[in-house]
Order: sequence, then structure tokens, then C-alpha cells
Amino acid sequence: PPANKDSDGGWRTFVWNSEKKEFLGRTGSSWLKIFLFYVIFYGCLAGIFIGTIQALLLTLSNYKPTYQDRVAPPGLSHTPRSEKSEIAFSLSDASSYKKYTDAMTKFLKKYDDDKQTDQMKFEDCGGNVPENYKDRGAPEDNNPGQRIGWRLKRSLVGVWPRLGNRSKASTPGKRGSSLAHVVTLLRMSLSLCFQPPMNNSVEEFLLPKLKPNLIPIFCKNKREEDADKIGEIKFFGLGEGFPLQYYPYYGKLLHPQYLQPLVAIQFNNLTLNEELRIECKVFGENIGYSEKDRYQGRFDVKFNIAS
Amino acid sequence: MGYGRSDSYRVATTQDKDDRSPKKKKGAKDMDDLKKEVPITEHKMSIEEVCRKYQTDIVQGLTNAKAAEYLIRDGPNALTPPPTTPEWVKFCRQLFGGFSVLLWTGAILCFLAYAIQAATEDDPAGDNVSIVLTAVVVITGCFSYFQEAKSSKIMESFKNMVPQQALVIREGEKVQINAEEVVGGDLVEVKGGDRIPADIRVVSAHGCKVDNSSLTGESEPQSRSPDCTHDNPLETRNIAFFSTNCVEGTARGIVICTGDNTVMGRIATLTSGLETGKTPIAKEIEHFIHIITGVAVFLGLTFFILAIVLGYSWLEAVIFLIGIIVANVPEGLLATVTVCLTLTAKRMAKKNCLVKNLEAVETLGSTSTICSDKTGTLTQNRMTVAHMWFDNQIHEADTTEDQSGASFDKSSITWISLARVAALCNRAQFKAGQDQLPILKRDVAGDASESALLKCIELSCGSVRAMRDRNKKVAEIPFNSTNKYQLSVHETEDLNDNRYLLVMKGAPERVLECCSTILVQGKEQPLDEELKEAFQNAYMELGGLGERVLGFCHVLLPEDQYPKGFAFDTDDVNFQTKDLCFVGLMSMIDPPRAAVPDAVGKCRSAGIKVIMVTGDHPITAKAIAKGVGIISEGNETVEDIAARLNIPVSQVNPRDAKACVCHGTDLKDLSQDQMDDILRNHTEIVFARTSPQQKLIIVEGCQRLGAIVAVTGDGVNDSPALKKADIGVAMGISGSDVSKQAADMILLDDNFASIVTGVEEGRLIFDNLKKSIAYTLTSNIPEITPFLLFIIVNIPLPLGTITILCIDLGTDMVPAISLAYEAAESDIMKRQPRNPFRDKLVNERLISIAYGQIVIVCLNPHALGGFFAYFVILAENGFLPTTLVGIRLNWDDRSCNDLEDTYGQQWTYEQRKIVEFTCHTAFFVSIVVVQWADVIICKTRRNSVFQQGMRNKILIFGLFEETALAAFLSYCPGMDVALRMYPLKPSWWFCAFPYSFLIFVYDEVRKLLIRRNPGGWVERETYY
Repeated sequence: PPANKDSDGGWRTFVWNSEKKEFLGRTGSSWLKIFLFYVIFYGCLAGIFIGTIQALLLTLSNYKPTYQDRVAPPGLSHTPRSEKSEIAFSLSDASSYKKYTDAMTKFLKKYDDDKQTDQMKFEDCGGNVPENYKDRGAPEDNNPGQRIGWRLKRSLVGVWPRLGNRSKASTPGKRGSSLAHVVTLLRMSLSLCFQPPMNNSVEEFLLPKLKPNLIPIFCKNKREEDADKIGEIKFFGLGEGFPLQYYPYYGKLLHPQYLQPLVAIQFNNLTLNEELRIECKVFGENIGYSEKDRYQGRFDVKFNIAS
Repeated sequence: MGYGRSDSYRVATTQDKDDRSPKKKKGAKDMDDLKKEVPITEHKMSIEEVCRKYQTDIVQGLTNAKAAEYLIRDGPNALTPPPTTPEWVKFCRQLFGGFSVLLWTGAILCFLAYAIQAATEDDPAGDNVSIVLTAVVVITGCFSYFQEAKSSKIMESFKNMVPQQALVIREGEKVQINAEEVVGGDLVEVKGGDRIPADIRVVSAHGCKVDNSSLTGESEPQSRSPDCTHDNPLETRNIAFFSTNCVEGTARGIVICTGDNTVMGRIATLTSGLETGKTPIAKEIEHFIHIITGVAVFLGLTFFILAIVLGYSWLEAVIFLIGIIVANVPEGLLATVTVCLTLTAKRMAKKNCLVKNLEAVETLGSTSTICSDKTGTLTQNRMTVAHMWFDNQIHEADTTEDQSGASFDKSSITWISLARVAALCNRAQFKAGQDQLPILKRDVAGDASESALLKCIELSCGSVRAMRDRNKKVAEIPFNSTNKYQLSVHETEDLNDNRYLLVMKGAPERVLECCSTILVQGKEQPLDEELKEAFQNAYMELGGLGERVLGFCHVLLPEDQYPKGFAFDTDDVNFQTKDLCFVGLMSMIDPPRAAVPDAVGKCRSAGIKVIMVTGDHPITAKAIAKGVGIISEGNETVEDIAARLNIPVSQVNPRDAKACVCHGTDLKDLSQDQMDDILRNHTEIVFARTSPQQKLIIVEGCQRLGAIVAVTGDGVNDSPALKKADIGVAMGISGSDVSKQAADMILLDDNFASIVTGVEEGRLIFDNLKKSIAYTLTSNIPEITPFLLFIIVNIPLPLGTITILCIDLGTDMVPAISLAYEAAESDIMKRQPRNPFRDKLVNERLISIAYGQIVIVCLNPHALGGFFAYFVILAENGFLPTTLVGIRLNWDDRSCNDLEDTYGQQWTYEQRKIVEFTCHTAFFVSIVVVQWADVIICKTRRNSVFQQGMRNKILIFGLFEETALAAFLSYCPGMDVALRMYPLKPSWWFCAFPYSFLIFVYDEVRKLLIRRNPGGWVERETYY
């Protein structure tokens, strides 16, 4: 009935017009033509796009990105990662810190000693003391061979075997508050061929920590009132910082065996059931800090550990 | 003469009003009341009764106390201005109309998302999208509001700034008061030149004539006297109406109606109560907004759901939703349209078309029928001598405004005699102090035909005043309707000749009766039958041209009977008025304006039907219609065919006649179908003797047939039709305030030819708006694709919300507006008016061109150029395209501060975000680069750019402006904080160049195919 036709606003005839054999206002051949047109049109466009992308790839070096100005200065990151810059768990509930321990175990897998046995790929760093930069030939020097990496054995740092196991409360029975061991791994983010120079004109509190060929790290409470709640902070690794011989890094392709230097910090006596903010900073000549980027050369993290 | 004005059409008016009132739906009771007959009865009362009714005194007037009391009771004597929307409502309409609702939704969602983020995180992302969106809506709203306010301010200039004064008699003293304070019962005095302050019942008059043309359309001034001459208050002589002008003489009267109760006030109220539809461009824009909103909401929701299904949090999904809405809505487009229309309105104002309502600019362009008034619009509105008959021959006088027309032999002695009669037997004279003006421009005191004669003689024989001084007037009998002639007796120029010269002019047949001889080639010949027939033929011919014909004769009175110093008695005629010598005929017409025939021709070739609607007589109307080409040469009316074939009118097939002259009295008997029939089957129509309501019916009839109707008019009687029309055009010089109020456009020079300019501009702006929209949409639609890829392929976001707004409201604006300055591609006045049902501003082809690219999302030159720049920047910073796919989760994870790129470098969150925002900037710059080509493409829809040229300076400026703005946004310090836009390395500017070139070549080829193969597949599928 015509009344029905009106009620659907002519949609039905628009979708399929049996008189003119039109589907959505077009006949079959019309659809075919427009389809072919678009196939060719888009085909050409896609071809041109792929062409320009190929041209782009030709201009790129395999070993070194064209620009590095955005990736420097280096960031300072920590494992396990925080969630919304907070690390929170309950000592009594193993499942609440499982994700942290899992993340650490996973992260440390590639530092397993048995993976570093190949003499062709790894060399020992002499005597486990920080040494100066080890130049293995810049990628520009027409030197496509793989660069070997320093060994960085988990066993070097005494605390490491224990890291994955647990963070346990210590000195139980202390009234009022209890304390916890928490361990975090620090690493400085990598940037190709980056050589972090030493900074000799650092603040006074760092002077006792300064060692040759070591980029120092310093951690402290962020807020004044937390000063006595942090307790002792222990550093593990080749000293309290990043040793220079691990730099520079030559990129994934040339330096696949590279092991990034790590520093583990252990908080021995964190006050439980309180929010504690801790800031870690790395010091060096070309290491900058930024208000906006809270992981550039430093980070701060909140610990909130329940008993 | 001989065409007595029939009064019958006024009766028709009354009946029409009654017929029409039930048709109006819920026109409220007072609205119906307005359409009824004017309830004035005072004209039938005696003066005493009137005085009693208003408790006034015929000599003393009202007492001050009474006047004050009445003023409080009736309110001021002024027309209530049509109800205006309060300013804040207008502002809110701008703020929440169009796309604004969509953007408000976006802003609120954005704000909510931000609030939730802020509540759950102690360091929320510094997202200022909601602030920017709000600012955008408010700024564009303010902009449109001020544009509108500006155009409505133009109207205020028309209001009389100086309050009207009126001379009233109160407590026996004459006082000058503001016309607003006049109350019913006031005794008012008016004199020549005054505007009548209210509806008054005349109690005494001395040679008072009023010009009722603004009320009734009759151009002849009418005399006023205290006697009731007609039952109809509009026809009777003893009522003068509010807002009409007293031309000459003085009168005294009692005010019977004030303000809105006056006849004029009722028409004004009726007019402002008429509902008018939306303008075609408003419909088009609404249609466009519907499409865009529909698509935006559909896509937004689709991807909202998709995002939820893909496992994004609902917060992220909301952000996608906002992104897609913002990308989809061309935020700057409405502002662009407003600016384009304003620019055209300004351009038209320069050409004497003042546009009151911005949208009317385009309406004129889509007009398919023009109902034009005759007097003043098509004609010069001044009587001019058009033809003369003397020496048994018709001579044509020059009627053009600039005296460039044909001339005739002025050496004949008969002509000199004729000129002398016309100059002497004439009471008109030039007003003082106009000697430096050209003769035709001078003001004349006197009636229209005498002024015409005066100017004609002054032009061809020199100073009339000098001639009159040489021939001193001795006696005079003025024109009256019983004699139908006017005569005067003069001394002769020749000082030695003591005879008196008697000159006479009047209705030709009356003048001829008085004659026994006729002047031919300067010699008197007896008036025989042959010459009488020649006279009759000439009279018929000139009358048939719709001209007012006057006969002239003279005689030198014999000195023996009328010696010098003879006392001529004009009351008891004591001298010879028979056996005069006939000199000739002169005929006058209000001639068409010089530019009108050409303009009508242009309208015709532009497919616009020009209908003449006039209150004048059919014969005059037809003559003018033929003169200006409204009835073109060779086209006949039914009556013409009947006359040619010598058969009765009833036997002629009306279909054979293309032209039609329709009389108002016939019109009232027509049914709607018959009316439609006339409008449909005749291409050339003249409506004569029409009343205001019939004008309304004619307009409605045309609109019923789907035409977009323009109406021109100047009188108050035209204002209902002006209001009802799709576009009402009022006359700036002769137009009444009410008609200007009702109209959408005002012709400052009262010239029909200006309408044609308007049509041309209107059509041009429609074409150019199409170009602007095509330009905006083609850059707007690809803005969605980054979001789609972001959601589906999980790459870092290539284009942010803020950068989209920068494109839409920043760089795209000036080039889009500059397209409004584009010259026409072909002669736009040679094509048919657009069909409002078929030729849309935004048709499906434009949409499919714009949205067709969504189907295969990223494959659009704009988007491709942007994506290429995006990939270049990321790759050069270390993220190759292969690494990017699927990286999004880590990329946008704040806690991931050691994200590895292809080379193994580790990026903190903030570092890679800076790269991402640099990509947004580059994407933005790439779109600007592709828009360079796009704006050049959009200059033309059919022609090649090489044919069209780059003469549009504004467009070139636009190109530089958008580039400079893009550079500014990228390089200005502080932009990283304000808009998160970062400086680009110079090489990144060139990424989109190949795409810019590509799209240019593609479109040139497309247009080439369209030109080579008109109506072919390419045109059908891609011509917008």
C-alpha cells in the first residue's frame, strides 16, 4: 500500500529499486564502474605512497637514526615499573607483589650467567672495576661487524640471586611500625653512541660517592618528613652507579649482545603502611633534568607497602 | 485620458480578505480581525458627531488634560515595532545552533574524561581539548552574532532619527508636538509637504491633495475635502491616512485613529504576523549540517563501540569519540559561510543592493520568478512626453533619462506653436534655486503631466519662464472634470500686435470639439473629415500605447472684439471658446528606465520569469511590459490573437498565447487551479489593477508551483507580498518604511537593473560556497583517518585534536573565504536558475568525493601526505614503520620509560610524546601543503586553472597567510606548551609536496575529461 511506502521515507526503494534494478541508487554496471574507478584510483595512490615510503627507507642508515636530538639526554628507569608512579603491595599477600617479582625475574633472564659464556660475543670487564669508555668503532666507520658486549653476570651482584624470591619483612616485632626490604633495579636509558661524561663539579653530598669512571646515582627521600622513614639504602653492581666501560652502545644490529649496566638498590628498612616518596638521580655532564619529563635523568616513585 | 479609474478592485479586496481568513490556520483572533475591513465609520458621521465621539471641539481642540488622559489610554501614536528577539536569545541561538551542539557534547565529554582522570590520578595529562573546544564554540558563536548584529544595524539607519512633528490645536492654541504624542480627537493641521501624523477625518481643506501611493499604489495625488464621497473609508475624500504625504494645500482634521489602529498600522501588523519560510540557503545549510552531524555521530559511535570491543577502557573510547567528532565537524565552515555572505552583501551594497538579511544574498541567486512592481522600479516614476502628433504625423520624443534618444524635426512652425501652447497653458513651474541642475533632475511644483510638458518644452525650446514673461497671462480657467480642459489668455510676444492669444489644452476629444481649423505645416486648414479621421487614428494609436494623451489648440483673438485691456471673465466666460485652431497632440507616459529592457533580457536568458504586478491599467501596463520586454516582441496575448484573427476571445485557445495580461477583477474569480494554470502556461504575464491581497495570492501561487519568488515593491500595500516572498525587495528612495521593514533587500537606486546584479552575485556566491565547502570538506574528512589507524593498527596517534582545530579554524579559513572572491567560470546569467530540489549546495557527489576516501581510509592525498610526513619523522628519529604497528599500548603507557625503538635506543614517555607531537605538527603542515594545491583546484569546478588564471589576489594572500600561520604555530616559542606543537626541521616541510602535485594533476585531468566529454561518466560521478 502506498501509505506504507511513505512511512519508510522511500528507503526501501532506495536500497533496492526493482523497477530500475538499482541497488542504493546505482545499477550493477554503474556500481562496477565506480568500483573499478576507485580500485584504480586507490591502487595508484597506494602505489605512490609505498613508493615514497621505500624512498624514505633508502635514505635511512641501518645502524644509526638520522636524528638523535629527541632521545637525549638519557632517562632513568626502574624495574619493576610503577603504576601511576606507585609501587604498592602487601607483605602478607604474596599475590599483591607477584607481578613485581615476576617482572624482575623476566627482566633478569638475559643476564643469566649461562647465556654469557660465548667468548666470541662476550668479554669480561677487568676486575669488576669501572673503567673508561670502550670504543669499539663507530657505526659510520664502515665497520659492519658485530660489537662484542661486556659480561654482566648476575652473580656479580651478591643480592641478585635473592631478588626474585621475596621481599620480606625484617626486624619484626618492632612496635608501631614494621619495615621491609624492597629492591629495585635501575638502568639508564640507552641512546646510540652516547658517552655520558663524568661530572666533577657535583654537589658536595656526592663527593664521598665519586669514583673514577663511574656515573653516580643518588637516592633519597623526596619529602623532608620522610627522612627517617626510609632507612638504609644499599647499592649493588659495579659500584654505586653506571660504569663507563659499558658505553657507548652501538645499536641493536651491531651490538646484539650488549648488556645494559644495571644498579640494584635495596631499601632495607622502609616504614610500612605509609606512603613514602623516593627520588633517584643520576649525575653527569650531559644528563639533564626536566620539569615535564619526570624520568629524564631522575625519577621519583612512591612506595606504599602494607604489612 | 478617458480611462476612469475603476473602483471595483477595492471591492474585490474586501471579498478576498473574507475568503482568505479561514484559510490561515491558527492566525489568532486578532490576526483574522486585521484582515477584515477597516472599521472606520467616522467618514460617514457629521463633524459634530465626530467631535462628540472624541469629546473635542472643532475650534478649540482637545483640552490638555483630555489629551494626556487619551495618551495614557491609547498609548503613543507610533507603530509598534515588530516583536524582536531579545539579544541574549539571538546570542544563545548562535551559541547552540548548527554544529555547536556536537562540539559542546565533545567539550563536555572531554571535560568529564579529564575530571575522571584527575580524580583517579594525581597527575592527569594536561589535556586542554575541552577548553579549546569551548573557546572555539564561543568564538565562532560571537563572530556570527556580531555579523548578524552588524547587518541588523544597517536597518536602524532607516528609522527616522528626527522625531516627526505635528501641529495640533489644543485649548485653542496651535502647538507643535511630537507626532508620537498625538491622540484621538486632536485637531490637527497639515499643509503641503507634511506627513500626516495619524488617520484624520478632514473637517476643512484648501486645495489639499494627498499622496496615497504608499498605501494604495495609486501614484496620482488625490484631493481631500470634508465631504464623504464613498462608503469605503479608503476611497472617501474626507479621510487622510497616517504616514501618507500631503502634497499641496492645507487641511484641518480630527484624529480618529493613532498608532497601530491606523490603516497603515494594521497592514504593518498583518505583515509582521505573516510567517515566512526558511531561506533556500538556510535549508541548504541545514541539510548539510544534518548530513555531517549524522556521519559524525554514526562514525563516532561505531568507533566507540569498536574501541570497547577491542578492549580499550571506556575512558579511552570516549576520547576516540571526541576525536572523531572533532575531526568530522568542519568547525570553521559556518563562520566561512557567514563571512562569504557578508562579503557578497558588501559587494552588493556597493552596487546599490542593500541586503538586510545575509541569507537573502543567495536567495536572489536561486530566484526563478520575479514579481515586479511597475511604477518606479521598471519605470522612471516621472511622466515624460513620449509622442507628439502634429502636421498629421506622429513624432517621437526622447524619453531616456540621459537624453540620448531620438529627436525629431523641431523646425516646423506647428511645433513652435504647439510648444508655445504647452508652455503657456501650464501652471507647473520649477522650484527655485535649481538652475545648476540638469533640467530632468529639477523639482517641479505642479501635477505630473504639466511637469512633463514643462520639462519637455524647457529642453527643446529653452526657458519657459522667459516665454511666459514675454506672454503675460491675462486670464485662466483651471482644469476641472466637467470641462476637461484648461485654458488661458495671454498677451502676444509681438509688442506691435495687440491681439490676445488664447491657448487651451485638455482631453483630445473635448479640445477637438472646440476647434474648426487645424494647423498643418504652419498653415491653418479647415478641419475636414479626413483630418478628423487622421486625428482619431493618432489618438487611438497613442492611447493604445498606454499613454496619456492631451490635445492642444490656440487662437489669436480678433482685436476688434477683444481690444487691449479687455476684461476677461473666467467665471462667466465672456470670450470665444469655439472655432479654435487645433495644433496637435502630446502624449505622456512614465517611461521605462533605460537599463530595464536589458535587465529583463538578462533575466530571461538566466531563466527567470519576470511577472509584472501593478495597480495600473492593463493598457498602460501592457505597453510598459512590451517596452521593457516583459512581453517580448512577437508574443501575443489571447486578445491580440483574437484581434488579429478577427474572432471572439472565447474561441482562442489560451495555450496559443504565451503572453497574458490579467486584470485584477478577473483574478478574484479564479480558482486556485485556474490561477496555477495561468502561471504555468504563460511565460509572460502581466497582472494589472491588483490589490495588495491579490499580490499575496500571486506570490503564493508561484511558490506553490515550486518557484523561488522575488517581489519588488515600494508601498505599504506591497509589504504583505514582500514578506511572503522568498525575497522581498523594497525601494530605497520611494519605498515606505513599512515595506523596507518587510523586505529582505533594499534597492538604493530603485532600479530593476540592480536586481539583476543581485541575481548574478547570488548565483556566484552559491557556486563559490560550493567551492569553499569542497575545499573545507576535502581537508576535513581525512582528519578522521589518523584516528581510525590509531585504533585499528595501534600506531601512535598521527594527528591530534588540537592540530585538527588549527587546520579547521586557522589555516583553512582564509583560503576558504578567498574562494568567495573567485570570478565566475562561465556566464552564470546564461543558465537556468538552480532547482532547489535537485541542485543542492552539498550534493551526494561532493559527499562521496569527500567521504569516498573513508571507504579505504588512509588513501587520500591529504591524509597520505600527512602520513608520509609522520612516517618520515618517526623513522628519522628511530622508529621505522614496521616497529610502529602495534606499538601503541607501550607508547601511550606513562610508566614505560624505556621503550625501545628500531635501533635499540630507549625512550622515556615524555621524549617519545614530543616526537609524536612533532608528528602532529608535521601532519598539520602537510595538510596545509596539500591544501595549497586544493585551493587552486577548488577555484574552478570545470575550467582548468590555466584558463581561469590566478587573478584572485585574496586567494594568493590566503596561500601566504596559511603558510605563515603554519610556520608561526610550528616555530613560535611557547607553542610547545600552549598547543603542543613543535618546530619542524625544514626538510619535513617538503614531505607532502609530491602529494600536493599529485592531487593537482589528478584534478586537472578530471576537469579535462569533464570538459572534453560533457555529460559523460566522469562528470556524472565527480562534478559537484
